[in-house]
Amino acid sequence: MILRYSPSSPFARKVWVAAIETGLDGRIEGIASHPWKAPDELKALNPLGKVPTLVTDDGTSLYDSPVICEYLDGLHDGPRLLPPGGEARWRALVLQALGDGIADAAVLWRVEQTQRQTLGQNPEWVERQRSAIRRGVDQLEAAAGDLAGPLTIGSIAAACALGYLDFRHAALEWRDRRPRLAAWEARFAARPSMRATLPGEPL
Amino acid sequence: MKLRYSPTSPYVRKVSVTAIETGLDGRIERLPTMRWDPDTDLPRDNTRGKVPALITDGGEVLFDSLVICEFLDSLHNCAKLFPPAGGERWAALRLLALADGTLDAGISRLLELRRPQSERSPWWIERQIGVVKRGLDALEDGVGELGARIGIGHIAQGCLLGWLDFRYPDEDWRPAHPGLAQWFESFSARPSMVRTVPEEAAPAA
Repeated sequence: MILRYSPSSPFARKVWVAAIETGLDGRIEGIASHPWKAPDELKALNPLGKVPTLVTDDGTSLYDSPVICEYLDGLHDGPRLLPPGGEARWRALVLQALGDGIADAAVLWRVEQTQRQTLGQNPEWVERQRSAIRRGVDQLEAAAGDLAGPLTIGSIAAACALGYLDFRHAALEWRDRRPRLAAWEARFAARPSMRATLPGEPL
Repeated sequence: MKLRYSPTSPYVRKVSVTAIETGLDGRIERLPTMRWDPDTDLPRDNTRGKVPALITDGGEVLFDSLVICEFLDSLHNCAKLFPPAGGERWAALRLLALADGTLDAGISRLLELRRPQSERSPWWIERQIGVVKRGLDALEDGVGELGARIGIGHIAQGCLLGWLDFRYPDEDWRPAHPGLAQWFESFSARPSMVRTVPEEAAPAA
């Protein structure tokens, strides 16, 4: 399988962490591309022009990151990252939606900071993303008990989102007044899968 | 169950259509609308929480729209909108991701156009226009494989096309996408779509 990714993308990181945790990373070849300058052949695989995009062994392209992770979760025999049913499934999916929502807002804020050349940043727009992030992190703090349970795609998504905040928006200091989340994240970030996938600058 | 909603949001519409198609809409009480932004169909006051959000009978809050739709799909015993594991499931989820991603780009462009003229990023706008064009072209390419049996991908596609008509009425996607146009004419006649047509929002408060 081939994973089109970017070293800075929290969504691509989620896929890599899921792959390592389920022992599938050896089956995936990574091809990096710049998150904002998608080559035409990436657009041919994914009309949205986004990473991550997975090309499976039979040549089908899959996106976006929740779909890729669910697909990978069907290829191994270990404990499921996405429980098959019941409350555990919805909790994991809601946590993933929370984590991905934080990452979405954080990426939009990053775009505002770096891609607008002479236009400058719009303070109202930035504040909109910041408050979405703050609210999301508060909700993760409230869900710290769920995060500390068995490994799921939800906990991976949350950890990758928080790691991205550290990478691009350290001044936000998300740990401030969120002690349970901070303690959980410190333990989670020590996992080999997280240490092996630290965010880096795009090529 | 209670649904936090806005009357024009295409994400909410996806949930509403799903609820009607699965026969569950009678079990869902709509919570009074929050103030919403008539230009973007997103909540004006973001601190009020996510829309749509479903509060289950057990008091759990579910989001985002896809999670809600899959949850609703688990509550009935008729034909599933989300295929169980296998090739069909990935095809449905990919169609869903394509339709929703195209919608996201359309919304992103709308948000950019809300900025004062001098602050708009032509690069960003062009980028979103490109995504919508490629997304629609890909959906057109796939229309022959859609099948008559309705699934979550169909619903997402229908909500996307309905929203484009609603928010970009002067940019008709039909001439360049005749297969989609024909499909949509038939799909939008379903009661679930007729009952959820976005109505022109009230003037901003």
